[in-house]
Amino acid sequence: MRIEDYIESGILETFVTGAASDDEVKELMYMKAMFPEVNEALLQLELDMERIAQNMAITPPADTWNKIEQEISDIILREATQPEKYARQSSEEKFDGNKNYNNKHHYIEVEAEAESSHIKIHKNWKWVFAAVFVLGKIFLGCAIYFYLENRQAQQQIQELKTELKQVKK
Amino acid sequence: MILNTQLQTSGTFAEGKSLAVHNLYNNYAAMLLGYIFEVVKNRSEAEQYLIAVFTDAQSQIDEFYKPGVNAFCRLQLMARKKLADFFLSIGECNIGGSQHQQPFTGKNKFIQQMDTQQQFVFCGLHWHGKTIGKVAAELNKTENDIRKILKECFTIIRNSK
Repeated sequence: MRIEDYIESGILETFVTGAASDDEVKELMYMKAMFPEVNEALLQLELDMERIAQNMAITPPADTWNKIEQEISDIILREATQPEKYARQSSEEKFDGNKNYNNKHHYIEVEAEAESSHIKIHKNWKWVFAAVFVLGKIFLGCAIYFYLENRQAQQQIQELKTELKQVKK
Repeated sequence: MILNTQLQTSGTFAEGKSLAVHNLYNNYAAMLLGYIFEVVKNRSEAEQYLIAVFTDAQSQIDEFYKPGVNAFCRLQLMARKKLADFFLSIGECNIGGSQHQQPFTGKNKFIQQMDTQQQFVFCGLHWHGKTIGKVAAELNKTENDIRKILKECFTIIRNSK
C-alpha cells in the first residue's frame, strides 16, 4: 500500500477519535515513526480535534483545580511514605539476621477492632512492647517481694508486742 | 531528620508535578470539560470525570511534554478510557432519520455542516465511544466505508472557518 493510500484510508482519523483497535494503533505508531508524511497528517488531525473541542469548551468551576491539586498532593505524599509490608520469606530463602534486607520502612500488622480490621504499626514498637512486658514483670516481682516483706514485718511487730505484754505482766 | 528530608523532597517533587499538571489544566480543562459534558450531559458528573483525568495525568506527566505529543488528544483519550463504562449506557445522537432519540445538545458549528450520515458516524465514534465495526453494522456498511465517511467529516472540519 502506498503511503498516500494509507493516509487516505481514514485510519488516522479513526485513531484521533479514539476508535482505532490495538493493532491499528501499533501499525500507525510504526508508520508515524517511519514516514514523516503520516506524522504530519496526524499532527494536522490532532489540531482539528482541538478546534472541535474549542468550539464546545466549557469553563470549569473555580474550585475544580483546588480539588485536583489536593488529590495530586495526597497521591504523591502517599507514594513517598508508602510502607513496604514484610513479605513472607520463601521456603528456600531463610531469614538471615546479618543480611541487610534494604527495606525503607518496616511495618508489622496488628489485628484491632476497627472497621478496616487492621492497623499498621512501625516495627520499632516491638521493642517498646518488649520493654513494657519486662518492666511489668519486674514491678510485679517487686510488688510480691515487698508485700511478703511487709507481712513478715507485721508478724514480727505483733510477736514483739505480745512479748512486751508478757514482760510487763 | 531523614523523614524531614524525605518530606521536603516529596514536597518539591509534588510541587513540580502539580505545576506541570496545572499548566495542562489551564490550557485544556475547558476543552476537555466540553467534550466530557457532551458525553455525560451532567455538569457535576462531567466535573468528576475531569478531576479524575487530571489527577491521573500526574502519573504520566512526562509523556505530555514529549516532542510531537498532542497533550489535548492524549487527555481526551484518557477521558475516553474513563468514560468506557458510561459509553455502554448512553443512547444515540438525535440525528435526523435516526430512530434513537438521545438529544445531541451540542451546538457545534462543525457538526452542523455535516450531513446526517456523517453526523451519525462522527458523533457515534467521538461522543458515544463506538467502534468502527459497530457503526458499520448500524449503517449496514463496511468498515472501510465508515473510515471514508469519517475522513469526509474531518475535511469538513478543516475547511470550516
